[in-house]
Amino acid sequence: MANIAAKRIKREFKEVMKSEEVADGTLKLELVNNSWTELKGQIAGPSETPYEGGKFILEIKVPETYPFNPPKIRFLTRIWHPNVSSVTGAICLDILKDQWAAALTLRTVLLSIQALLSAAEPNDPQDAVVAKQYRENIELFHLTAQHWTNVYAGGPNVILDFVQKVQMLTDMGVDENQARVALSTFDWELERATEQLFS
Amino acid sequence: MAETSEAQASASAPGGDGSEDDKRDERMLECNICLDTARDAVVSMCGHLFCWPCLHQWLETRPSRQVCPVCKAAISRDKVIPLYGRGNTKQEDPRNKVPPRPAGQRSEPESAGGFPGFGFGEGFHMSFGIGAFPFGVFTSTFNFGDPRPSPAPRGTAQYDEEQFLSKIFLWVAILFVLWLIFA
Repeated sequence: MANIAAKRIKREFKEVMKSEEVADGTLKLELVNNSWTELKGQIAGPSETPYEGGKFILEIKVPETYPFNPPKIRFLTRIWHPNVSSVTGAICLDILKDQWAAALTLRTVLLSIQALLSAAEPNDPQDAVVAKQYRENIELFHLTAQHWTNVYAGGPNVILDFVQKVQMLTDMGVDENQARVALSTFDWELERATEQLFS
Repeated sequence: MAETSEAQASASAPGGDGSEDDKRDERMLECNICLDTARDAVVSMCGHLFCWPCLHQWLETRPSRQVCPVCKAAISRDKVIPLYGRGNTKQEDPRNKVPPRPAGQRSEPESAGGFPGFGFGEGFHMSFGIGAFPFGVFTSTFNFGDPRPSPAPRGTAQYDEEQFLSKIFLWVAILFVLWLIFA
């Protein structure tokens, strides 16, 4: 059965390469090994979202039972989104779980993940902290997501205030990523973030 | 004869001009699961094409959620239709591992009603009952001319039913009188 998986991934890979999304740069796909079991995808942050201008890299693991079971996909690029874990990059998306259908392909799944970036589902969160901020302070959420996109995904919008706050904490010897997570979690209140980091 | 063989030859050989169209035609006949040309093709009620082995495995993978892999409409092994093309010359049988593809369903064309006959034939119905003497008579008598298996054609159902009911009441009355006399 692994034979079907490899054969199908090969076909899909070719199809993605010929697709217009690859031509216009919205999607990218590359092989990690020669056994067609692991790939790397890349999606462009959709326009008119805080992710605009960012390039997000995804880890794609193809199970032996593919396409009868979904591929395992997570973000390798850190991202601030209610349905993606800010720590592990795990994605909460129904088609990657119980709503998987065998006719879905790597191309359609990557496009679905891209669509998830423009339409978050805060009521079915993967990251409760992010979802809470999304519900309670959407403007701050947008800024935070923009900042993360700028730092991790090469987005164009520098949020100077946030950069400075992270810098303050790293000057105190805190790991940069940890500092950013703490600040983002506590709505960029330096005192509460520091308290949490040093408690 | 010469004409047909020529037409076949030109159809099977992808020509320079029509290669784009040919490719599209080929993709139309691809299985939605393995993305290869469908073998042992079946089509779902929602119109999606699959290899039977592929679809079978999909249905086996999630027995509790049997949906079409393309449109998520309800799907089941009894509700797919096999496609039989012409000239299936393959000697090997790829269905060794999976149960054979469901057979096509041939329903007979509906007959136009016609003369119902003499009350026997399709309408004839018999049953047996066991009971103590006086009630035993009931069981065998009540089934006399039972019309259940023969729905009366052309709007006479009501009439038949009334006739039948009045017959029953008559029999009940007679039996009741007999029972009163003999018991």
